[in-house]
Amino acid sequence: MAKISSKRKGNKRVHIISRKAGWAIKKEDKTRASKIYNNKNSAISSARKLKKKGHDVIVHKKDGSIQKWEKSKKQK
Amino acid sequence: MNLNNDFSKNVFINCPFDDQYIPLLKSILFTIIYLGFTPRIALERFDSGEARINKIIDLIKASKFSIHDLSRIKASKKSEYFRLNMSFELGVDIGCRIFKDGQAKDKKCLILEKERYRYQKALSDLSNSDIKNHNNEPEEVIRQIRDWFVVNELERADSGTIIWDSFNKFMADFYLKREEEGFREKDIQRMPIPEFIGFINEWIIERKNS
Repeated sequence: MAKISSKRKGNKRVHIISRKAGWAIKKEDKTRASKIYNNKNSAISSARKLKKKGHDVIVHKKDGSIQKWEKSKKQK
Repeated sequence: MNLNNDFSKNVFINCPFDDQYIPLLKSILFTIIYLGFTPRIALERFDSGEARINKIIDLIKASKFSIHDLSRIKASKKSEYFRLNMSFELGVDIGCRIFKDGQAKDKKCLILEKERYRYQKALSDLSNSDIKNHNNEPEEVIRQIRDWFVVNELERADSGTIIWDSFNKFMADFYLKREEEGFREKDIQRMPIPEFIGFINEWIIERKNS
């Protein structure tokens, strides 16, 4: 089977992930979420600020699948 | 698909296979593999000539662990039949443990339901059994499975939150890989379970080697 890693995997990524207490913003290289928001849209708005710093913003559905992938214009 | 013949690592999954349940099933498969075990499920092989019950019995006999989800024990709408397969297969598994000698005596099972105590109305024989509820939430099912393995086999493991976050990261890698290969959204959602299991195995190996 071909390797699962891809060209874009080298990019910095931030995930919006469901939590019991709301929606977490979690940078991929960090072990803990940086902040939990009650509202998903607030979490997305906050995470978008990281797009300018080269992060892809990956918005997950409550089941973990992908709702939206906002790609940073900066490519590594 | 590379199947493990090690009884002590095999986990039989007895659950619904409808579209609404697939997200839960994906999180169950991921958690089992993440914790170092091998999921065994009726969908792992397609052979129209093979009687389903024989396949189920083979899987039950080959697995020390089993996860039974009774959350579809109640019909969701009027005129719909409730599903008997899950409770039937749970009975076969418990019977295997009780009546079969040898390693079958070491079998352990986790029973899941959507809501706490609801099962008692349909399956009162299980009253006073320790049944866990997941509210149809993948995050919760991951936590329940992780805790069950820690209590029964592992002693220690990554937290439920770490496994849940890893599952989300896996789903992103999986989505990206398939998208780059030209798969459409619908194709990604409906991938056969053995293919999905293969991706999880590959991702876990890559993660260990990185």
